[in-house]
Amino acid sequence: MKKRETASAKTRRFISNTIVHVCLAILAVIWLFPIFWVILTSFRGEKGSYVSTFFPKTYTLDNYKRLFTDTSILNFPQMFMNTLIIACFCAVISSFFVLSVSYCMSRLHFKMRKPFMNLAMILGLFPGFMSMVAVYYILKAVGLSEGAMIRVALILVYTGGTGVGFYIAKGFFDTIPKALDEAAFLDGATKFQVFTKVTIPLSKPIIVYTILTSFMAPWLDFIFAKVICRANAKYYTVSIGLWRMLEKEYIDNWYTCFAAGAVCVSIPIAILFICMQNCYVEGMAGAVKG
Amino acid sequence: MKKKKVLSLLLATAMAATCLTACGGDDTTTESETEGTVDETTDETTDETTDETTDETTDETTDETSAADEEEITATIKVWSPSEDQSAEYGNWLGTMCDAFNEAHPNWNLTFEYGVCPEADAKTQVGQDPTAAADVYFYSNDHLPDLIAANAVAKLGGETESYVKETNSQAIVDSVTVDGSVYGVPFTTNTWFMYYDKSAFTEDEVKSLDAMLAKDKVSFPLNDSWYIASFYVANGCTLFGDGTDEAAGIDFGGDKGTAVTKYLVDMVANPNFVNDKDGSGLAGLRDGSVKAKFSGSWDYAAAEEALGDNLGITVLPSITIDGKECQMKSFAGSKAIGVNPNSQYPQVAVALAQFLGSPEAQQSHYELRGIVPCNTELLAQEEVQNDALVVAQNATFDTTSILQPFVSAMGNYWTPAENFGNSLLNGEVTADNAAEQTEAFNTSLNTSVVE
Repeated sequence: MKKRETASAKTRRFISNTIVHVCLAILAVIWLFPIFWVILTSFRGEKGSYVSTFFPKTYTLDNYKRLFTDTSILNFPQMFMNTLIIACFCAVISSFFVLSVSYCMSRLHFKMRKPFMNLAMILGLFPGFMSMVAVYYILKAVGLSEGAMIRVALILVYTGGTGVGFYIAKGFFDTIPKALDEAAFLDGATKFQVFTKVTIPLSKPIIVYTILTSFMAPWLDFIFAKVICRANAKYYTVSIGLWRMLEKEYIDNWYTCFAAGAVCVSIPIAILFICMQNCYVEGMAGAVKG
Repeated sequence: MKKKKVLSLLLATAMAATCLTACGGDDTTTESETEGTVDETTDETTDETTDETTDETTDETTDETSAADEEEITATIKVWSPSEDQSAEYGNWLGTMCDAFNEAHPNWNLTFEYGVCPEADAKTQVGQDPTAAADVYFYSNDHLPDLIAANAVAKLGGETESYVKETNSQAIVDSVTVDGSVYGVPFTTNTWFMYYDKSAFTEDEVKSLDAMLAKDKVSFPLNDSWYIASFYVANGCTLFGDGTDEAAGIDFGGDKGTAVTKYLVDMVANPNFVNDKDGSGLAGLRDGSVKAKFSGSWDYAAAEEALGDNLGITVLPSITIDGKECQMKSFAGSKAIGVNPNSQYPQVAVALAQFLGSPEAQQSHYELRGIVPCNTELLAQEEVQNDALVVAQNATFDTTSILQPFVSAMGNYWTPAENFGNSLLNGEVTADNAAEQTEAFNTSLNTSVVE
């Protein structure tokens, strides 16, 4: 009697598991399909933007080689370095901004706290590029729109407003017990010390998340880079370069290189993620005893 | 107390900001004033040197002007061009030309600062901030209304104007003329024509699209608004009268429009018709599944690689509508060199623009990058006459094209035209509803999206 029940429960579980897994597998395939296709295209031997077969007829590494050696028209290596430099600065500066603001919003209680949070929420509803022309003219007035200062301008643009995106990190900080802070205060720690010595070490997952998102911003942004770099090809970021490759004069020649470029862009982000991945697992285990 | 301090600080910043903007405004007015005076001086010199248009005299006159006006000029001139013009792989055309220009003007000590801005990007890139844009830049002529509206392109007066008028065909001069003023030095034409496989079609067959469709696969980008108008124009439909009369609007309706729509419905149903989308036409030429394709000079290298000796290039074919032979007509335009009215050294900028559009510069542009020249003398040369691409592009420009209208209402044309192409392709438009669909299409062409 008992045995039969468990058997039927087992089959039922097996069936529901199968359905769930099949659904997930289908979704995963749909989701990964475009990425898989871009990777295939980046190794495609035939030229041109249009293919009649899904799998390339010939495979080659030339697209990558060309992307990094044929620099006379589209200097991809330089764009890549520009973006990498900007992204590194962004990762550091924006993470600092976001974490600081989050900590203040979570731990400090001041009069403007609620109004500020509402204001930040409302400001966040507006798309950032709404202000791009104004931002350009401000940067120009300050003298950041020409020459090497363009990199500084881009770093400013990508980091300046990130502090407003504190909601996720604040939510995380709220889950860290206040008791820890109080214990530290009793030991004579200042608020900054509590932030750096207690809160930060306990919130590695959210720090990883913050660093990753701020590192990605310059790789993904196109509009601001276009408006600020204008004709200064020396300071282009990868997104402008990739966009150029799809213009009618270049698309036939550069399409497979474009795919290769898209794959290359994901590499630094992937490396950063893998490096920081093990921080994700470390939680607050053993922070508060008893 | 503290709040008051903050408030006063804010007010002070606000005031400082207004001061800054005011200064900015002042700057531009003085600059345009200087521009005006220079225009006058150039006018005077042209009166003195009548009729002489060879390049040497051009240089001399400009030298005289500069000598009389300002003895020595040491300036940094910003030039924006497509990146190919600056790449060593293509012989660094722009750098070479600018250095030659500097040498031709011993009184001027110029340093050049190069930026990248393809002709098709001029509207956005120069228009974004004309005061910080290049002194001299390259643009497609359909950008003119936007550039003029943004005060980003200067009228060319005097000697440069007559140079443009005397060394180019009337159609090309028209392409850079707005309200009787010339706004740039044209250096090439811009249009599309037909590439075909000589082994598939004879020279007689390529004169008629119907003959071609009866024989083999032909690819045409029907849902690209730059191309689809060619059919309507063939049957006498007009855009803005002669292309400049904004009040006349676009006339694709009526019986003549309906006849074209019916023709297109039949064409789409023809198994030999292949729509050219996302590069499928070029891919078809490569693997032999398509024998003819409509495109411009930018696809020449790829088409030649695909077809080799069998590559034929020619003007647009004609189509038969209601038993009548109609010539398809493409949109044509030009690419020109523009001068920024905000330039600090307008006389230098104008002279440089003219130099970059001179026959020597066009010749070198052609040799290095295959840019089809538009100077009438150059076009008569034998070397140029033997080039199939040049011959086809110019024949198309001269015989089977209309000047792409660049009145601002033309902005309403592009999206409805593309949508209509899509409706034709997916079968929404049929021979039965052709009349009403054409009428609706015509209405949307003449309706502004932003009212």
